[in-house]
Amino acid sequence: MIKITNLRKSYNGVDAVNIDQLEIHPGEVIGLVGNNGAGKTTLFRLLLDLIRRNEGEILSKGNSITQSEDWKSYTAAYIDEGFLIDYLTPEEFFYFVGKLNQLSKADVDDFLSSYQVFFDEAILNKGKYIRDFSKGNQFKIGIIAALLGNPELLILDEPFANLDPSTQLRLVDMIKSMAMERKMCIIVSSHDINHVSEVSSRILLMEKGTIIKDIVGGESAYAEMVDYFKIR
Amino acid sequence: MNLSVFLKHQWLNFWRARNANKSLAIQIILGVFYLLIFLEIALVGIALPFILKEKLPNTNPISIYTSYLIYYFLIGLLARFQLQELPSLSIQPYLSQNIQRKYMLRFLNARSLFHYINFLPLFVFIPFTIVVVAPIYGTISAFCFFIALFSLVFYNHFLNMYIKRKTINNAGFFFAVLVFIAALKGLDYLKLLSFEKASSSLFITILNYPILCLIPIALAIFIFIVNNQYLKSHLYIEELVSENKKKESKNFTFLNRLGDIGEMIALDLKLIFRNKRPKSLVVLSAVLLLYGFLFYPKYLATGNFSMLFFFALLITGIFISNYGQFLFAWQSSHFDGMMTYNTNMHQYIKAKFSLFLTVCSLQFLIASFYGLMSWRLLPIQLAAYLYSVGVNSFVTIYVSTFNYRYLDLRKSASMNFQGIGAMQWFQSLIITFGPALVFYLLDHFAGFWYAILGVSLPGLAGLIFYESIINWLVSQFKIRKHKILEGFRER
Repeated sequence: MIKITNLRKSYNGVDAVNIDQLEIHPGEVIGLVGNNGAGKTTLFRLLLDLIRRNEGEILSKGNSITQSEDWKSYTAAYIDEGFLIDYLTPEEFFYFVGKLNQLSKADVDDFLSSYQVFFDEAILNKGKYIRDFSKGNQFKIGIIAALLGNPELLILDEPFANLDPSTQLRLVDMIKSMAMERKMCIIVSSHDINHVSEVSSRILLMEKGTIIKDIVGGESAYAEMVDYFKIR
Repeated sequence: MNLSVFLKHQWLNFWRARNANKSLAIQIILGVFYLLIFLEIALVGIALPFILKEKLPNTNPISIYTSYLIYYFLIGLLARFQLQELPSLSIQPYLSQNIQRKYMLRFLNARSLFHYINFLPLFVFIPFTIVVVAPIYGTISAFCFFIALFSLVFYNHFLNMYIKRKTINNAGFFFAVLVFIAALKGLDYLKLLSFEKASSSLFITILNYPILCLIPIALAIFIFIVNNQYLKSHLYIEELVSENKKKESKNFTFLNRLGDIGEMIALDLKLIFRNKRPKSLVVLSAVLLLYGFLFYPKYLATGNFSMLFFFALLITGIFISNYGQFLFAWQSSHFDGMMTYNTNMHQYIKAKFSLFLTVCSLQFLIASFYGLMSWRLLPIQLAAYLYSVGVNSFVTIYVSTFNYRYLDLRKSASMNFQGIGAMQWFQSLIITFGPALVFYLLDHFAGFWYAILGVSLPGLAGLIFYESIINWLVSQFKIRKHKILEGFRER
């Protein structure tokens, strides 16, 4: 799915991201963990071609993401409010993103109704622009919009930090089932090592821009992470 | 916590705002610009009495001056309505601190006074009072006169604040005052009732009996107290920032046919109508359509075709430079999203061009009614239109790829220089004066029809080869895409 070679991005001479080799496969749920400043968000932005890398190459399905824009048709992301058009109502935003993914209004409505539980009746038909929603609800809107096109690669930055407990648990289930059933590749960053070890099939531990640990998810991963973060 | 601490924070906020200290050159230009405006107003304030004396030697400048004051204050109220904003949000960080309410009220009231609209009258009133009034009525009377005028400025200020806080229907109030002013002026014009005379005798009475200046002072204090009381009982953020109307989802069905590009145009239209700053700029473009009534007859009479062309360019193409000066920056708050959604840059750029084409065609069609004034206007406007969509739209998109400044959509447009860089000045210059100069030269040396052809042809060529031009623009956009993204992320 994604192949990274010799990727380097530096700000003022300090490496923010420096990854020699990394390959990510369909169906994998990657948990990206690390303290603040480890380079998680920078890596995400690099994967989405939102910042210019200094060196290296990122291939998505074999194509360089800077050369071709094909990756946009199967990649979706929610990093922050910068991915929301805040003067639209949630419905308008969903129809807009849906339209870009060749979904009709009816398709979008169908899709939304299947995620009603996730919304908790806090989003639809509220008569508000996105900018007037709380941060947690904006996050829900962003996640759903990202899922609209049925992407093959999904990137979520700190999804657990901004959601309420019920939605966090629902999201854990959703991520697991999407990876299982649709072979979706999902990359999630998080400070919540509990959730992350639960959902991830593979955990990447970042420190100062490099990946220092590449471990299989699960309970042993949780213990390993606790060990690591305790010493910090 | 006293007032000076609050105000110091605001002062720091002003100078440390992002974009504020980006470029020294821009700051100097803006500084000179402000200075010029203030100087000009002061000059008018000083020169006015002399002009009056020369034009109407048999009248008393003070009585003429004071006769217009009633309109000055009414129109001032209208202007405040459009230009002044409630400083409510600036107290948000303090609400949770250990600060007594009365201090916060004081701060809110004091903060609101720091607005250029409150300082401008000083430049008019002070020179007039010193140069004209004082020599005739003496220092004390002049001083009281000035105090009376300034109390009325205060009165207007707090009245506006009060109404804005109290009513949601701002537009309704605005038009009510507008109609009221028109009615007064109408009665004056028809000589049924003279409000000008009333206004003048009112202020001259104050000059004769200076003690009467206590009345405007009392008025100002009264409205201040009313405003203060209201604030005191509504010191909650959600009540200070009104507007809780239900927002409707909209769908522009006529754009659906255009597919993804139609969707992007609809997005731009929503952006315009739901955000203060772009909305006021676009309303301005619509108002400019009326410029023809103002300027066309004059230049038609003298046969000055290049000036006609210049105004035709404004009338048919102003949307391009008004909206286009921040073409991408309007979307700066969600540009990360725009660059990751399932659409490509080619479509994105094409949608921008299509928006220009649509709006300008509309402006051109409406402006064609000016053809009733003179047939000459039709070819002139057609040429201007072709040049606007065929050349200026592309130039604007190109220049926009150099704009890396974040823009806050929710701030109002007046005196708002956020996001303006040297590029914007340059852009407006080449877009309007460039073609006008070409037209002038051709008209002067070759003749009217050559001039028409000379500006139409590049426009036509641009329209014919628009695909390849857009491809080139996309490649330019790609080169600077990351820089734009980085700049927009810096808020």
